[in-house]
Amino acid sequence: MISDKELMINELKTIVEPYIQDKEAFENLHEETDFMNDLKINSANLIDVILDVEDKYDIELDNDSMDKMLNIKAALEVINAKVSEK
Amino acid sequence: MIGNDIIDIHETRTSTNWNRVGFTEKIFTSKERSIIADSADPFTAVWRLWSMKESAYKIFIQGGGKPFFNPTKLECNFHSSKKGVVKIDTRIIETSTIISSDYIFSTAVINYADIDTSIFQLNESNGKYQSDFMRQQVLNDFAVSHSLHGGDLKIQKTKAGVPKIHYRNNPLDASLSITHHGKFGAYSILKN
Repeated sequence: MISDKELMINELKTIVEPYIQDKEAFENLHEETDFMNDLKINSANLIDVILDVEDKYDIELDNDSMDKMLNIKAALEVINAKVSEK
Repeated sequence: MIGNDIIDIHETRTSTNWNRVGFTEKIFTSKERSIIADSADPFTAVWRLWSMKESAYKIFIQGGGKPFFNPTKLECNFHSSKKGVVKIDTRIIETSTIISSDYIFSTAVINYADIDTSIFQLNESNGKYQSDFMRQQVLNDFAVSHSLHGGDLKIQKTKAGVPKIHYRNNPLDASLSITHHGKFGAYSILKN
């Protein structure tokens, strides 16, 4: 069970970095940062982010979970919920 | 209502590996995956389906639909090499796709009327530049075709993020969709 939020945000940062198109938003990344609107990740690459998250945490994100993962905060919640189910 | 989506073929070849394990399952329904499997050119089938979904999604949002990120909620079917349909819930949206050696461009429409479409090659890859450039093109062309003064026109997004042409600060009826990817950009205006 991951409890250190900062650590997890850093892990997410590493995952999204190859796909971001707004460097400034990436440098200032915080919990409310939105993957598409702020980081300008295109929707095809958002699928890559989802798959990378699945690999990293060894979880499966179904369509409902995917649908919720609009920003960093929501992603953390979804990942934590899935990890705790394991 | 109108929605469009352009995919730069060269850009998408380098930025997205659709063959990645799990990728198509996240985006396509089993019916769509069999369309891809049966296709002589799976790469083009994948990105045609994707652009159809994106363009139909824009219509869904224009119509007041709640934003979602679940591409399998939109199911496409091809009717010909150009025409197709996208189903979202109970709604069926018709699409038309142009496939060139450089790009795949889909347009989705509800209440088909006169569509004004222009495709551009863009010189810079910066997203902000591309977005500003495309908006300026829309306004220039719209001003000329409607004999209006360009300074009276501007584009503003609605709360839902849908771009609208405004004349002297009043939104016009015409629906507008703008897309850009890689080296290409396009706009579509539906006169209604």
